[in-house]
Amino acid sequence: MEPNEIQIGLAAAVEEVLETMCFTSVLSSGEGAAPATMEETLPASGDEGPPADREVAVPAEAEADAGARACTAELRFEGNPSGGCRVSVPWNLARAVGAGFLGLEEMEVSDSQTEEVVCELANMICGSVLSRLESEATFRIIHPELVPPERGAGFEGAGSNRWFDLGDGILTVSLELQPAI
Amino acid sequence: MELHILIVDDSSVMRAFIRRVLELSGLEVGRCLEASNGEEALRLLEDNWVDAVLTDINMPTMDGEELLRRMSGHPVLRLIPVLVVSTDRTDGRVQRMLTLGAKGYVTKPFAPETLREELEHSLAVVDGTE
Repeated sequence: MEPNEIQIGLAAAVEEVLETMCFTSVLSSGEGAAPATMEETLPASGDEGPPADREVAVPAEAEADAGARACTAELRFEGNPSGGCRVSVPWNLARAVGAGFLGLEEMEVSDSQTEEVVCELANMICGSVLSRLESEATFRIIHPELVPPERGAGFEGAGSNRWFDLGDGILTVSLELQPAI
Repeated sequence: MELHILIVDDSSVMRAFIRRVLELSGLEVGRCLEASNGEEALRLLEDNWVDAVLTDINMPTMDGEELLRRMSGHPVLRLIPVLVVSTDRTDGRVQRMLTLGAKGYVTKPFAPETLREELEHSLAVVDGTE
């Protein structure tokens, strides 16, 4: 499968999940890990950039996001294809996304609800992206789990990564596809 | 007429999301029961009549497929329409759940209106009005 196909699938899946389930829009997105500075959030070749009238994140915020404690959920899937999917969200953004999902104010969303929403995001994003990439796929998604911070936001080596600017922070998704045996 | 619904999903936030969507859908929702797996759902159904069951598939203890199989084999519970709400959108899985007796299938993520339409469709199929 072409890397570009995976990136297009990831972008479409994340936008669909956030818009329909969390009532949140993606402002811009790009290939790779979460950018640490504002300059890096500028669109790479072929990526859709932010709207002209949009106030982009200031560098201090972007740097704070990159270094902030993140809520990360990972799941594995078995079948054809097999692999894993990891979704990582800075804690403040995760709470805002959780509030959108649950229809609550941010202050009303508990830590456990925030973590559970991020797990559900991973579940839905993975199901959506796999069905986009492999319309004839037969796979089983194993229940998502939270990832300890020391394990990082992405898969080492083999994964495809994409970041999504939601205005209040950057959500990152990593997808690892293992070749069919 | 108020609809009494049973939502079966191992994620409490997903159950809350579905409950909220139902409440905002314009449907007259009465009692909204919740279970975190098929076994809990069957226990609730022993003592509570509902107009429809909305169930996930991938759950611990008893999954949605086994729940559907047990309901389909029960003389009374088989009359309750079951709508599957799952991330699994593979053709094989959808077909298997429909063959087992599900009246509708909604894949996550879903728009609120999709859930309402599928639920109304499932109820109409059982009523014989569709």
